[in-house]
Amino acid sequence: MIGFFSYYVPWLGMTPAAILTTVFGAFCVTFVVIRCWGKLVVDFGPAGGMMAAGFIIGTFWVLNHKLPGFGINPEGLAHPDGGIKQFGLIYQGFRGAAPWVDMGTAIGFGLWINGLAGATPGQRAPLIAESLPRIGAAILGGIIGGALTGLVGWSGANLFGY
Amino acid sequence: MARLATIIGGAICGALCFGIWPEMWKSYGILGGWLTAAIAISICWYMNHWSGLFDNPPGKLWVDQGWAVASAGLAWSVVRFHAQLLEALPVVACCLVGGAAAGWTAARIAQVETRTNLAAREKETL
Repeated sequence: MIGFFSYYVPWLGMTPAAILTTVFGAFCVTFVVIRCWGKLVVDFGPAGGMMAAGFIIGTFWVLNHKLPGFGINPEGLAHPDGGIKQFGLIYQGFRGAAPWVDMGTAIGFGLWINGLAGATPGQRAPLIAESLPRIGAAILGGIIGGALTGLVGWSGANLFGY
Repeated sequence: MARLATIIGGAICGALCFGIWPEMWKSYGILGGWLTAAIAISICWYMNHWSGLFDNPPGKLWVDQGWAVASAGLAWSVVRFHAQLLEALPVVACCLVGGAAAGWTAARIAQVETRTNLAAREKETL
């Protein structure tokens, strides 16, 4: 059992345990966001939404994204046996340099699917067609913001003589 | 213009998440990560969804700022750490599966839901 769950699938870059934890972590955070965020806004107004940011995203960040030790360290904590210990549910690949996969992926897609599942079946295709450009704009904005933020690694500015 | 607003909102949200989240985590550990959600996601949500910077017409499918955070994470690690984009695919697929399962289940639960929840009872008794 342990051997199966911790078997590293090379072409996938994941173990079965990592697949299970990632799917479960994505499910949990998305379900709570769908279920609670809107109701918190209804009950408390905009302050409820700002509370939800801390109580839902913050708390589920601890569940999904915390890493051992300090700092973004995709290798996780090197175990004496040579294994990798990672304590967040959403797996961050360590083979080569895998990019950061955020739980926002699950939340965005889950809210989209939620709207789709609640719609009447005949209306789904036009709804999808209408929403795709807006999703593209959100993704493009994220790429711009993330790439520009990533450029700080390239600036190489020497400050104060250090 | 609505598209441009969405792009700007997504860029700011992505930059905030990946500009300060790692630093807060490095400085204050778990509490720093929790705090970053409370200070960054809250103001991003206020700007993007409460004040309506994101283009979300009523009655249409919801476009969340999570899309922007997701793509910002990928772009940030590709630019900053020279990450290989394709290696994220299995994890992204797992996230999409989990998110879709939650979205579908929550919609079904909301459809069959009876008014037994405490919030509805509270409103009825008032």
